[in-house]
Amino acid sequence: MSPAEGSAAGADVLTVSDVAVRFGGVAALREASLTVRAGTVTGLIGPNGAGKTTLFNVVSGLQHPDRGTVRLFGTDITRMKPHRRARLGLARTFQRLELFGTLSAGENVQVGLESSVKWWQWRHVRSSFPTIRNRRADGAEARPTGPGSTAVVTSDRLLDGVGLAGLADRQSSALPTGSARMVELARALALAPKLLLLDEPGSGLDDAESQSLGELLTTLARGGMAVLLVEHDMELVMRICEYIYVLDFGDVIASGTPDEIRTNPLVQAAYLGAVAGPADGSAGGGGNRVEA
Amino acid sequence: MSNFLQYTIFGIMLGAGYAIAATGLVVTYTTSGVFNFAQGALGMIAAFCYWELVSVDHVPVLVAVLVVVVLGGAVAGALVERVLMRRLHGASAERPVMVTLGLLVILTGVATIVWSPTTSRSVDNMVHGQFRLVGINIQYQEVLIIGVALAVAAGLRALFRSTRSGYALRAVVDDPDLLAMAGVSPNRMSQYGWMLGTMMAALAGVLLAPTQTSGISIAAMTLLVVNGYAAAIVGRLRSIPVTFAAAVAIGLAENYVINYVLPHLPQNLTPDITYALPMVFLFLALVTLPSVRLRAVGRLTTMRAPRVAGGFESIVAGLVFFVAAAIVAITFANTAFKGTTVLDLGGLIMSLGIVGLSLVLLTGYSGQVSLCQFAFMGIGAFVMGKVAGGGSVLGLLAATAVCAGIGALVSLPTVRLSDLYLALATFAFADAVATGFFADNHIYGAGGVSIGRIVLPGLSFGGDQAEFLMVTAFFVLAAWLVLAIRRSLFGRRLVAVNDSPAAYATVGLDIGFTKVAVFAIAAGMAGLAGALYGTVQGVVGQTDFAIFPGVIFVLFVTIWSIRTVSGAFLAAVTYVVLNQVWPNGVGLFAGLGIILIGRAASGLLGIEALQVRLPWVKGSPDTAGVRPAAPLGGPAMAGGSSRVAG
Repeated sequence: MSPAEGSAAGADVLTVSDVAVRFGGVAALREASLTVRAGTVTGLIGPNGAGKTTLFNVVSGLQHPDRGTVRLFGTDITRMKPHRRARLGLARTFQRLELFGTLSAGENVQVGLESSVKWWQWRHVRSSFPTIRNRRADGAEARPTGPGSTAVVTSDRLLDGVGLAGLADRQSSALPTGSARMVELARALALAPKLLLLDEPGSGLDDAESQSLGELLTTLARGGMAVLLVEHDMELVMRICEYIYVLDFGDVIASGTPDEIRTNPLVQAAYLGAVAGPADGSAGGGGNRVEA
Repeated sequence: MSNFLQYTIFGIMLGAGYAIAATGLVVTYTTSGVFNFAQGALGMIAAFCYWELVSVDHVPVLVAVLVVVVLGGAVAGALVERVLMRRLHGASAERPVMVTLGLLVILTGVATIVWSPTTSRSVDNMVHGQFRLVGINIQYQEVLIIGVALAVAAGLRALFRSTRSGYALRAVVDDPDLLAMAGVSPNRMSQYGWMLGTMMAALAGVLLAPTQTSGISIAAMTLLVVNGYAAAIVGRLRSIPVTFAAAVAIGLAENYVINYVLPHLPQNLTPDITYALPMVFLFLALVTLPSVRLRAVGRLTTMRAPRVAGGFESIVAGLVFFVAAAIVAITFANTAFKGTTVLDLGGLIMSLGIVGLSLVLLTGYSGQVSLCQFAFMGIGAFVMGKVAGGGSVLGLLAATAVCAGIGALVSLPTVRLSDLYLALATFAFADAVATGFFADNHIYGAGGVSIGRIVLPGLSFGGDQAEFLMVTAFFVLAAWLVLAIRRSLFGRRLVAVNDSPAAYATVGLDIGFTKVAVFAIAAGMAGLAGALYGTVQGVVGQTDFAIFPGVIFVLFVTIWSIRTVSGAFLAAVTYVVLNQVWPNGVGLFAGLGIILIGRAASGLLGIEALQVRLPWVKGSPDTAGVRPAAPLGGPAMAGGSSRVAG
């Protein structure tokens, strides 16, 4: 079944066609194709080394493919620079954290929020200089009230939304992994993306946090966002994804609804076979986490 | 035709010499991940040692070569790895660059003390005689250099491609832990790499020394390797055959340009173009390199961020600083220190402090290493001297604008590459400007450029006190500007692009534009500093803005703290005072300082024990434990985000 048939989803947001990437003699991706539609959470699963992160890099522009095309809303973005793709509405997080470590959590999100702002505009330059109004009674600098203040308020709101209320002033490199992943997510959401690529966002989260993450992603998709999720937490993937692609050795070996993936013998042989018991998320008393 | 063949043979020989130096760079980079800026200085020391043994002590040539290249090169390489580089494992990317620059200034400093620059030293060919082939004379020395270079390239290629040790040498950079699990010591492999690379540097120095027809000099021998940089870059610091071919091509091109192109140009341009050639080659190499992929490497800066002073705090600190300077101006109005008035020294400190601030912005915040801020200073001083009579505000503005424009042009070819290439490009630019522009008597004049003191309608800064306070005011303004930038949207972007280029690009921000912009601003600041420096000095010449003093100053800023305004000021104080006390030892202090500070990325001021907290200053980065996170989602997310529009 195709993604269009598998859900009541909207238009195609991302179309990856026959993408191939080689690193020297190693084929990281061979003829990989997938489609992500608006208003859905689409899963991308596969063992370590299957090519999931390489595919994310190709889609976000950090890696040029040897062959194949990437289209965003029908526009060919295969050779487009990463920042231009982001301006078209593509945001991502990283498997290995890529935070602005010297900045606070709030500032990380602010950088995303203000990414379309031209810094040389006078109103933004002026906001860097102190004014009497910014002075608080206790002598400390008040939080900005100029043009940057909208970003501060919104970054607080976004951090609140990913469960990091009150942590805006913490240096991001000092945060635990789970919290740092949520800062990355908040920074990506700050772009108000139409397509969100999440590379193992559940890593480092406990069961309750993972549950909340699932609800958050479902809410975002319900609002029209297209989400492409790479995740090893099978319970989470099976629960929130409407459509799933399975990568193995750079090939898309299967795709379908969670039910189809569960029962697909190819998937069981190549991937889920690595886990004892059924792959329905109910085995083993709790999260059926695949560590391939 | 015979001339062409003669030039070709000499060009190949020159290129072969560059190839040996360049393959040494490739070997070191391949086996340690470090680009050795001291490669030329190591070759220079080897050349001087060889001269000492052969010309002074009359040691047989072969013995001298074995002692200098094999023994000396191996021991020096092993020591450099063990003492300097091994402790930098895991340090920030620019730290090894700084340490090899420290080694560079130490070696040139030691050479200046041991071998007086005023003495002429000629090195004879190792083998004498010549033979005729197709109507041209070919010297055996030329054949020797070409043969040795070919043998070295072939030997290294075979080592890296066909032996187990070669695989281990290459693997040490890729994954030292995995190599250790395979039973091979990564440290030992890295040490072997440094030994090989240093032996190559020594061999290049010894072989190229006889080509210096006017005798070997410390600066010329050290900088001879810049052409090797270009070749190594064409080889992408990986491929020995490509590096070798590029080096030979550069040697040929250099010789053809000198013999066929320069004679048709005005005579006064000849030395400028000759000196500028290495930079032209390096820039061509940089421009033709394919873009470096932005790799998501999971790098997470764990460095504690220096606290950025708030707006009012910086205003109060600036005013206090200015009042203190005024007290100094009154107290030491007629006092001299080592033959220079204290106020003149103060003026130099303030102007160099502005250069330090430009480095805070460029390197401290955005992570780009520039070694050519003194070159911009020199250009700024030159513009100041030539515009509106040499003592006007218009000159200051022109100096700032011209340097900002040139800065943008210098950084443009390198923004799509890694920061190492910017350091290389700036090194080559500083070298070319110092030797091809500042040294030209038609530009700066034999006696230097005169720059008058600034006069405004109804206001003159002709007096020493007024001049000092004016330059101090510019320093304070520059410090306010740098801090304001750091607090601004642009400042956040500078830090962000340094912390994670991959994330920066994927949030919709243009890395290239940001890097060019900050480089231009920093170059403009350095140009302004040069103009002010000129007004303090009265006359400036080529020696004021040479390449090595510029490198030494960068090291002092790094030693104190390249991320803070205080670090920039203290570096300027250290540089000016040491130059007054012991000019020949400034490089030694800078080199030893950067080595001693090791991997402390925030410099001396970043060391906790040395920090002084002002009681009225509130707030500091808190890296303590984090409260448990609240559940995700919630009402705040319901509406999604509202992106701030420009």
